[in-house]
Amino acid sequence: MDVGKIYDKIYRYVYFRVNDRTLAEDITQETFLRYIGKYGNAGSVEIRYMYTIARNLCTDEYRRIKPESLSEEMEEIPGDSGISEEKMAVRQALEKLPYEDREILLLRYVNEEPAGTICKALGISRFALYRRQKKAEDKLRRELEA
Amino acid sequence: MDNNEFKNLIKNAYCAPKPVRKDEFISKLRPGKVSTFRMLLQQIPYIRPYVWIISAVIIGIAIAGSVIGGEGTDRLIGLIMPITAVVGMIENGRSKRYNMSELEMATRFSLRSVILARMAIMGFLAVIVTAIASPVIANSFGMQAVMTAETILMPYLMTMIISLHIERSPLGRENGLSSVVVAGAVMLLFFLIWESETGIVLYSSFISGGCGVAAVIVLGALTLTEQWLTVRNVEAFA
Amino acid sequence: MKLSVDRITKQYKNKIAVDRISFDLTEGVTGLLGANGAGKTTLMRMMSGILTPTGGEITADGIPVNTENYRALLGYLPQDFGYYPEFTAREFLEYMGALKGIEKKKAREKSSELLELVGLTDVARKKIKTYSGGMKQRVGIAQALLNDPAILILDEPTGGLDPKERVRFRTLIEELGKKSIVLLSTHIVSDIEHIADRIIMMKDGSLIWQGNRSDVSGDLEDFYLKKYE
Repeated sequence: MDVGKIYDKIYRYVYFRVNDRTLAEDITQETFLRYIGKYGNAGSVEIRYMYTIARNLCTDEYRRIKPESLSEEMEEIPGDSGISEEKMAVRQALEKLPYEDREILLLRYVNEEPAGTICKALGISRFALYRRQKKAEDKLRRELEA
Repeated sequence: MDNNEFKNLIKNAYCAPKPVRKDEFISKLRPGKVSTFRMLLQQIPYIRPYVWIISAVIIGIAIAGSVIGGEGTDRLIGLIMPITAVVGMIENGRSKRYNMSELEMATRFSLRSVILARMAIMGFLAVIVTAIASPVIANSFGMQAVMTAETILMPYLMTMIISLHIERSPLGRENGLSSVVVAGAVMLLFFLIWESETGIVLYSSFISGGCGVAAVIVLGALTLTEQWLTVRNVEAFA
Repeated sequence: MKLSVDRITKQYKNKIAVDRISFDLTEGVTGLLGANGAGKTTLMRMMSGILTPTGGEITADGIPVNTENYRALLGYLPQDFGYYPEFTAREFLEYMGALKGIEKKKAREKSSELLELVGLTDVARKKIKTYSGGMKQRVGIAQALLNDPAILILDEPTGGLDPKERVRFRTLIEELGKKSIVLLSTHIVSDIEHIADRIIMMKDGSLIWQGNRSDVSGDLEDFYLKKYE
């Protein structure tokens, strides 16, 4: 897979975890460097390992942030002009979901990762993935239709 | 709300601000290791068609010769094989001839790999031709395929060894087509040996013993040595 | 990235072509000025990993010049180059792409992009032997950019370009200098007058001056001529 596309995916994944553009890029790049350090080359990056590394880096990062700010999971995106009402509505609905559910929706629908990759990255079984995904989707639909 | 609409809503909600240091970072990433084999495969389409055609023709002659029961097909093929060597030398020399060496040298795989790949492919081709022609010819005459292979290979190997050696010398650098002269000389030499009565007798006894196999092995090793020296020589821009 | 040239020397039997030259380069455009025979090409060949120095070291962020990893970061345009006669511009670029280790599909995309950039899309499927000198030069520039090089070394790249092509080229170089290390050599001062951030001047194999363009007040040409003496 194209290294550029992988960069975008990991960046997006990390960004929606840490909500800071600079930090997200730092972590994305650190993920690459660690992957290469461990697996040797940038020629055939396997994205599921990248997700795992990125997750761990995010967790490490969170440990350094004060516990209070953990509740601010999804702040407004500053400087992005023209956030439509619709987008805001979806974002707010998403905010009501627990982080794990949001993570799955992001990986599935935005990064378009296959089930196998998501399972390996999150360390859950296919069945658990299916169950959680369905639950998250139903919740989200109900929120949006409200 | 249908599925697609749902998917798109989620997709749109998750658009992050563009990363700014992406291109810079990616350009500095160490490139992945591409295997030598893969690189070799990549070079195959750049070997020109006439090379494959000549190989096919030689095999064709071998088959035709054995079908019509012509005696001496093996020696005929042996005499033609130096042409394959010349072809190989010409292909090797393309970079220099068309002034592409400098460009190729500065690439990741570098000119060395190009030459290596060409030699490997040409060598492989020679082996294939021999491997097909020998049993085809031998079966029809009851000679061992091995002895046929020796007859086919010896003129080829000798041409390769001498041509490669001359190419590296000052003499060869001036004259790009020295391999043609060498091939001509080798073909003449073997023609004379095989056409003379004493020559053919001596030759036959030479290859029926283990001497023939030993000779081919020695010649093969020398060819590989010359090829290795040639590739090594390409390294530094003269 | 830092490209470090440290006391680099090239000595032939009867002549020292490059004599203990040192300098460091970072992102931006550096112009290498010198008369023909000053040793610019020899220096650039050593910096491209194709000519072994007699002494000294060249590294990019610590990566030595004679490695595959270094060459992977490099885009090089020699002063004089040819082409295989059967190639079209597109085929030429795809061939070079293969040698640079670029995956086939990506090479094809990148080739299209670059042909567009140098204005050869219309003639991309014609054989290079039908091209004018300026067009051939543009193909050369395109191939140097195939691997998005972090280091771009261009030896007399404006040779054969007509005035319009020259302007286009200068704009391209300025743009590239924003993200890559660009070293371009010339004996024509006006080529780099407006686009070089740094200048290096060579004479008879030695470095006679190096500094920022901004350090040179007034006419670059005059400054160069003075230094030359």
